[in-house]
Amino acid sequence: MTTILPQLTTPLQQTRVDVFNEIFVLFLGLGTLVGIVVVSYTLYNAYKYRDDGNHGEDEDLPVVGELPTGGKGGRKLFLSFGLSAVIVLGLVFWSYQMLLYVEAGPGDEAQEEALNVDVEGQAFSWTFQYENGVESNGELVVPADREIQLNVTSIDVWHAFGIPDQRAKADAIPGEYSETWFIADAPENGENVTHEDAIECFELCGAGHSNMKADLTVMEEEAFQEWMAEQEAQANSGGNESGGGNESATGTQTGPEGNESSANGTDAASNESGANESSAAGAGGNATDAANETNAGNESDTNGTDASGDDGNNDTEDNETDGNADDESGQEGES
Amino acid sequence: MSEHFPPRTSIKRWLVTTNHKDVGILYLVTAFFFLIFGGVLALLFRVQLWSPGGTLLSNSGFNQAVSIHGLVMVFWFLSPVATGFANYLVPLQIGAKDLAFPRLNALSYWFYLFSGVLLAISFFQGGSFEGGWTMYAPLNVPMYTPAVQATTGGTAAIVALLLFVTSITVGTVNFLTTMHRSRAEGLGLWNVPLFSWSWLLTVWMMLFAFAALLAALLLLVSDKILLTQYFVTDQGSSLLWAHLFWFFGHPEVYIVFFPALGIMFETFQTFTGRRIVGRKWVIIAMVLVAVQSFLVWMHHMFLTTINLEIKTLFMATTIGISLPFDLMVFSLIYTMVKGRVRFTTPFLFSLGALVLFILGGITGVFLGAVVLDYEFRGTYWVVAHFHYVMVSGVTALVGGVYYWWPKMTGKMYDELLGKVNFAVYFVGFNLLYFPMFLAWETPRRVFHYADGMQIYHQMATVGAFVLGSSFLIMFYTLGKSLVSGPDAPDNPWEFSRTAEWAIPSPPPLENWPGRPSYASGRLEFVDDTPATDGGATTDGGAMATADAGAALERDHGHDHATAEEHVDHASIWPFGIGLGLFITLLGASGMTGTVAALVESLDPEYFESAGLTANVSYLYSGITVVGVATLGYTLFEFGRERFTAPTMAIAERWPFENVANTKLGVWFFLASDVVVFGAFIGAYVFMRIYAGWGSWDPVPPFTQLGLLNTYILLTSSFTVILALVMAERKNKTGLLATLGTTVLLGLTFMGVKAYEWSYEFSHGIFWFTDLHYSMYFVTTGLHGLHVLLGLFVAVFMIYRVISIDAYLEDSRPVEFFGLYWHFVDIVWVFLFPLFYLM
Repeated sequence: MTTILPQLTTPLQQTRVDVFNEIFVLFLGLGTLVGIVVVSYTLYNAYKYRDDGNHGEDEDLPVVGELPTGGKGGRKLFLSFGLSAVIVLGLVFWSYQMLLYVEAGPGDEAQEEALNVDVEGQAFSWTFQYENGVESNGELVVPADREIQLNVTSIDVWHAFGIPDQRAKADAIPGEYSETWFIADAPENGENVTHEDAIECFELCGAGHSNMKADLTVMEEEAFQEWMAEQEAQANSGGNESGGGNESATGTQTGPEGNESSANGTDAASNESGANESSAAGAGGNATDAANETNAGNESDTNGTDASGDDGNNDTEDNETDGNADDESGQEGES
Repeated sequence: MSEHFPPRTSIKRWLVTTNHKDVGILYLVTAFFFLIFGGVLALLFRVQLWSPGGTLLSNSGFNQAVSIHGLVMVFWFLSPVATGFANYLVPLQIGAKDLAFPRLNALSYWFYLFSGVLLAISFFQGGSFEGGWTMYAPLNVPMYTPAVQATTGGTAAIVALLLFVTSITVGTVNFLTTMHRSRAEGLGLWNVPLFSWSWLLTVWMMLFAFAALLAALLLLVSDKILLTQYFVTDQGSSLLWAHLFWFFGHPEVYIVFFPALGIMFETFQTFTGRRIVGRKWVIIAMVLVAVQSFLVWMHHMFLTTINLEIKTLFMATTIGISLPFDLMVFSLIYTMVKGRVRFTTPFLFSLGALVLFILGGITGVFLGAVVLDYEFRGTYWVVAHFHYVMVSGVTALVGGVYYWWPKMTGKMYDELLGKVNFAVYFVGFNLLYFPMFLAWETPRRVFHYADGMQIYHQMATVGAFVLGSSFLIMFYTLGKSLVSGPDAPDNPWEFSRTAEWAIPSPPPLENWPGRPSYASGRLEFVDDTPATDGGATTDGGAMATADAGAALERDHGHDHATAEEHVDHASIWPFGIGLGLFITLLGASGMTGTVAALVESLDPEYFESAGLTANVSYLYSGITVVGVATLGYTLFEFGRERFTAPTMAIAERWPFENVANTKLGVWFFLASDVVVFGAFIGAYVFMRIYAGWGSWDPVPPFTQLGLLNTYILLTSSFTVILALVMAERKNKTGLLATLGTTVLLGLTFMGVKAYEWSYEFSHGIFWFTDLHYSMYFVTTGLHGLHVLLGLFVAVFMIYRVISIDAYLEDSRPVEFFGLYWHFVDIVWVFLFPLFYLM
């Protein structure tokens, strides 16, 4: 059953977005229908049987002090109950097949080619580490049309990692590794697309929770490989303060016990003192986020160059600059 | 009868009253005050949400507002409103004169009020708790949030919740005993009116659910004040909290909704002029929900690392629990069919509640599908869904206010104003919560959201103010009724059925014009004056056979009441104990820095590495000392006070015919204590399995000492049994000797424990250095605290024996103490192998 049915109900290589939409639309349709029917029937009854002053004297009317008993209509009650139970159970069993699919991932073939990314939540930013050790802070860069397998954890408090557009979500719990996956659609006309703030935190995690966001950049496979090679080169050269180097240093400083008061305290102070709107944002990368916000106002899917617009590098380098900005402000907070 | 009982116009009356109707009114008034408190917090953050990145509140202020809004509404408003109704109405509906333990009833109210005061104070202690109402770990410990870093305010909020939970536990024991032991003759459990049924199941759920929360909060407070490590580590701490919290948290949903459902059952029957359809099945459905509510908690954790099998299981139980509600909803709908529906204010609110609950229920089914739940987790869909469910409960509760207002105050309200109130409320509700479904991709508890969502958030903010203003209309309507409303008849509602409508509005202090009885199949007031108090003659005695209403008119001269046993209605000590515990906990909330100083002196190395800040607070230490002294004194006086609250001579008591009131109360209390210890032990097992069972060695240095202590405690159980025998034989010397021996054995136990602890301390084993050590010290510490409390009681009993020859006439208190003492011993029998041998 469990092996055949999903294959019947779900075509191969469905993304989570497809699965979600399929279920959601059906639930929404049925839910709206049931809601309208039941509420209308309720109101209809209330109106139809409104008191018009004609009490049939023969009826057995309730009086004060009687021992409680039930009224008539039990059969109808069970009929409606049974009907609603069938709808609910049917919906859930059907959606359970989809759950099995979502849990299993998009199939063995896709999984072999999957890109594994470790996601680390930290108050109040996201860090992404690729299989080859490359780290990116504040921006998840992924190739299109390939399964991205995320392994999510946290180094301080409970966060929840989510990319609503991709319908991917996983709790980021200290000491735990929860998994999720998604497949991003290829960007139109082959250019890299950065979705500003596409990644958000879904669990209250402290003063900067409101602005614990990260960007999602989707590239064609080739562009992604180029980007990755560039990252590796930078990491190896060592001269550049790559996101990776900084981040790991921070990581060791903030072990579960070391990550105390002072760091967070400073963050909060800086938040509160900087009274203007943009720095009310979270601790990690105030400046960057402010820039992002301005841009988000202009157009939603701009790419990296437009987003920062401070120097004339190409897209990928610019993304990297963002990452550094995040890191540095994070470090200031620590010191 | 009540010569010393001040009238309702005097403030003193409200401080000393133990009468269930007075306490009910206190609960209702206080709860609506907290509605305003929580509502204003909500308005604050709704204003913040008017545009993305609003600046009205600071980051921390916003988090405090959403956190305390949630806590206040769930704990300090919803449950207490229901408790207020239950206090007032359950004794009336089941034909009792008062609750089984009137002083405990007052005590639970004062705990409630003072806990709310403490919560309010927390805002002025450097900022209140800001980790969300779910208090997820490890954000809930001092190390992670700046405002809580100041510690005091955040701790005060948690401690306030602890006090609130204590209040619930006291109330729960009281209601369970009352409802099982004080039903009028002929009123079997099946015959209890549906509001009371819903309350009975509510308190049953509360007994166990709140005990789990109590345990979780005790551990959290221990982390926050004593600097233990339960929720600090990355070795399972987060999941431990989630399990403990949601084991409480999901039943809590039904705990707050059931009373509202009960009100809907009552008002639907009254205002449709029909009896509920499928009454038996409705009750069975409620019982099923109550039981199953303890088996669905992990659906709050679908996105954690629990595995697919468990997810599947909890998906099934979750869907399963929605089906009984289907039945109840249809039952309400079909009750209208062929009825005579009158659209009074209470009915409008109840009908509105039903419609809103249907919408909340349908959107809940979405969450039952795990794949959808994944995406809805932490979004406004969840916010919208549970507000539709819980605030539909509020809708019914407001209906309840209008329904019973004439009974409680003796005044009618203005129907037109009531209907306006409903219209504004219903519009405001939907304008507030429906757009949240549309804005569902917004994460909860953030004020930086996508621009496209702004219109929905603005609608919601407008709705919030409309909803808020509907409560102003309500207060005006009720205030006007109080000042200038026409007098209410005994029974203003045609087709009402329950007993509260058979007595004057408002009811007299003693409730009934005689002994209420349903022995003939309907309510009658029996005149028992011939004082042949053989409880067996139930249907033979002289009785007022007239119809309930007529019985009232006839029975004005209730002189015979004076012939009955004297009944007390006043005691100041519940207020005193509440005040004492309040001061104690206020002091405790500021002790973290002082404990840190202690840690520094004990283990400077750890102190350094953990980055603690030592800050000895003489102010808070002083407050604590004053609080403990007050508490000790008031408890002592409470114990000494003569207070008569007679047990009903004739009553339905299934299934506890043979267990006297106090004993049953002790049993209920112990049942909840079992859950508390169960949660402590469960936490230990959970964390130890997480760490790898074999990786922990026993902490105590000498197994033999533990064994010795086991023998000592078991022996003391034996001496307590002897004490009971001595009391029954009226042997004063023997009673003193056995009680004295018990105390000595208890002290020996504590002495051995003190030696063990000091030995461990001298070897660098402290409660704060390591999770493993924390669990040992806290769990055995809680047990030690139980022993200590037992010793206080035993010493008090010895004092009573010496001073007034107590327990020689009535040995039962010795028996009750024995039950507690045996329980404490049994707990040790579990703790000893767990901490010394394994």
